[in-house]
Amino acid sequence: MAKLIAAPLSALVDEPVHIQVTGLAPFQVVCLQASLNDEKGNMFVSKAYYKASEMGEVDLERDPSLGGDYMGVHPMGLFWSLKPEKLLSRLAKKDVNIPYQVHIELSEPHFPIKGIVVSPPMDSLTLERWYVAPGVTRIPVKEGLLRGALFLPPGEGPFPGVVDLFGSTGGLIEFRASLLASHGFAALALAYWGYDDLPSHLEKVDLEYFEEGVEFLLRHPKVLGPGVGVVSVCKGAEIGLSMAVNLKQIKATVLINGPNFVTTEPHVYQGQVNHPVPCNIEFENTNAFGFVEFYRTYEETADKDSKYCFPIEKAQGHFLFVVGEDDKNLNSKVHAHQATAQLMKSGKKNWTLLSYPGAGHLIEPPYAPLCSASRIPFVIPSICWGGEVVQHAAAQEDAWKEIQKFLRKHLLPDVGSQL
Amino acid sequence: MSEEAPRGPLTSLPMIQLIVTPSKALVDEPVSILATGLPPLQVVTIKATLKDEKENLFQSRAFYKANEAGEVDLEQAAALGGDYVGVHPMGLFWSLKPKRPFQRLMKRDVMNSPFCITLDLYDSVRLKDSATIRPKASQTVQRWFVGPGVQRKQIREGRIRGALFLPPGEGPFPGIIDLFGIAGGLIEFRASLLASHGFAVLALAYFAYEGLPDKLLETDLEYFQEAADFLLAHPKIQQPGIGVISVCKGAEIGLAMACYLKQVVATVCINGPIAVSAIPLRYRDLVVPPSQLVPEHIQIHASGAIQFRSNISDPINRLNPQSILPVEKARGWILFIVGENDECLDSKAYAQAAMDQLQSHGRSNGRMLAYPGAGHLIEPPYSPCCFASWTFASAKPLLWGGDSIAHAAAQEHSWREIQKFFRQHLSPSGSKL
Repeated sequence: MAKLIAAPLSALVDEPVHIQVTGLAPFQVVCLQASLNDEKGNMFVSKAYYKASEMGEVDLERDPSLGGDYMGVHPMGLFWSLKPEKLLSRLAKKDVNIPYQVHIELSEPHFPIKGIVVSPPMDSLTLERWYVAPGVTRIPVKEGLLRGALFLPPGEGPFPGVVDLFGSTGGLIEFRASLLASHGFAALALAYWGYDDLPSHLEKVDLEYFEEGVEFLLRHPKVLGPGVGVVSVCKGAEIGLSMAVNLKQIKATVLINGPNFVTTEPHVYQGQVNHPVPCNIEFENTNAFGFVEFYRTYEETADKDSKYCFPIEKAQGHFLFVVGEDDKNLNSKVHAHQATAQLMKSGKKNWTLLSYPGAGHLIEPPYAPLCSASRIPFVIPSICWGGEVVQHAAAQEDAWKEIQKFLRKHLLPDVGSQL
Repeated sequence: MSEEAPRGPLTSLPMIQLIVTPSKALVDEPVSILATGLPPLQVVTIKATLKDEKENLFQSRAFYKANEAGEVDLEQAAALGGDYVGVHPMGLFWSLKPKRPFQRLMKRDVMNSPFCITLDLYDSVRLKDSATIRPKASQTVQRWFVGPGVQRKQIREGRIRGALFLPPGEGPFPGIIDLFGIAGGLIEFRASLLASHGFAVLALAYFAYEGLPDKLLETDLEYFQEAADFLLAHPKIQQPGIGVISVCKGAEIGLAMACYLKQVVATVCINGPIAVSAIPLRYRDLVVPPSQLVPEHIQIHASGAIQFRSNISDPINRLNPQSILPVEKARGWILFIVGENDECLDSKAYAQAAMDQLQSHGRSNGRMLAYPGAGHLIEPPYSPCCFASWTFASAKPLLWGGDSIAHAAAQEHSWREIQKFFRQHLSPSGSKL
């Protein structure tokens, strides 16, 4: 009798699952399919084909997929190769207190042809994938101008504090902060536009708002001082870098695929205005699917001349640059190298650069499906983020480990700083 | 009609114009596009728009920098970005993309209407359409799939179903059968174009069309022989042999026709299998068993489109040897046209194997044109490069592949070669084996 086994059945979304099949005929080829319905009812599906051993078993930790959404030995491949039925949908958890249900099915291989009669699955099971560990608390933040959510690990603490910033989609995105809290950080998911009574459009980046966020964190009884970290992606990383340069409480900044200069809105801080760098939209490339790649648009300006760039050498904390070399939205590799060159020129060694071949723009916690293109509000047409499925998945796994190590090293007392 | 540019108080500024010629032409003829009257060194947008017969929108755009004289001549100017980069006079045509991804542009009614493509010139960088910002100049061109005087006749003779396209004049003309692939039905646009270049072409349906089986369960080569005999019996068609132009599954059939039917003297196989695939081939007493594709060899592309090209390193050895077509038996000439970036089939490996088979039998009647960067759907020139599209049978779009610039070049080159090939081997004074 064919049997599908997976463990653990309920886990954090960044924890691996061991999937096995037993009771097959020797060398039988089977199809494993994963499916998930997101909060909007969009279905995401992936499939892979495996050949059983002589003993009639399949073990995803040992056996290669023969085809489907990925090939080769990838124990978590069914998760990170999930694809939306509705093109251009991006999987992004809103309510982090409710897990995703991932349904895994074992069946006979069949062609993806309409009207084909498919035999019922041989076995199936459902996994729960959580964005919060047991005991993590979520505290809505509505203090002063601040809007966001603070996630605290279970226990007394105090815990190293982190400000978590996302990019151009606006709103409040919590899933990374909730995961960081599940790993021992006090994480403030901070919205800055398109949420609650914050501006509906971003007109300027007011660093005093983010400074308020940092001070809020440091005031909290469960947050360890004297400094905090920042985890930031895309436009969030542009802000994160600006914060690191201007706010001395920032001790550790993670910059994922961000620009090292002001892009679309001016940055203001204490009366100083830092204006956007001119960009050449005509250098966009529309790819074979009609999605737009923007990464060339600063070729003539910021990419060429560091006079346009943030004076990163003035920052006091440490930097971790995370670069997807296949980023089609921003020229991340060039921006990160330019920033680190500036640091090197000033004799500073306060940085690490992790560069991942084949990884795209949206580097997220492990096992998140690659979103290579999607629509974002207020922008037409659809944007290409880049990334090659297998390499992007590997980058996410490695980067997440490194990000946590980096934050602990520079935010926890004593242990790390002189290593 | 171009709009007048704003005029200064003292000087009269030149009018911004977009000159596109010819305004009416065959779809495989190039067009020259010239923008004038622009501010010197201004970065501008040229956009192309087309609505197909089902009202689906296709668009492309490119950004150019006007020269010192305020002109952009697409024969010389390099696009800075947009749907293509570099000097590509016909780039706006072959980079047309559907507004809804995965739609394929295909003309159905070739006789009665052209495709109309509107070219718009904006004097700034416009990435998206705006209701309020209008182009400074516009031109619409007609792109026809038939030349003047070409006639179309619906064919319902015996079992045969299709459409015969005859050039103007008395003839006789070299005869060609045109076969498409798994889309089924009757696809006429290539046949009508070839007829516009002096060939008598029978666009032949073989399933999912009028009186033919809904599904293809086996390939009956006698049906195709009937079609060949029908053509040769026509008073306006040259003797003693005909040509075949075929793509994908059609090319498998075309190659089988070349192997088994003496009436076929020149065969063009575009990105096709060289073995009987999926369903058996029958010819009189002969039944050739198929090679089967297995689901586990299919890959799914990041976009969700399906890549049928097998993901194993040696596709030839995986073929059922009994299914491989005996290409050495072909008496006529064979031209294999291959896109090296074909994501639907291992076209290059297959064509190379067929060429090797010919050589090992001491035959020299085969030729292969392999195009790096070209995908599966190699069509007449300036057809948009379709990277992936829905097909009637598949639950997901199929990936065809192709890097658009290389694919466009392959379409231009191969179309010339195909016509040369047919003229050379079908004309009465052409070389014989």
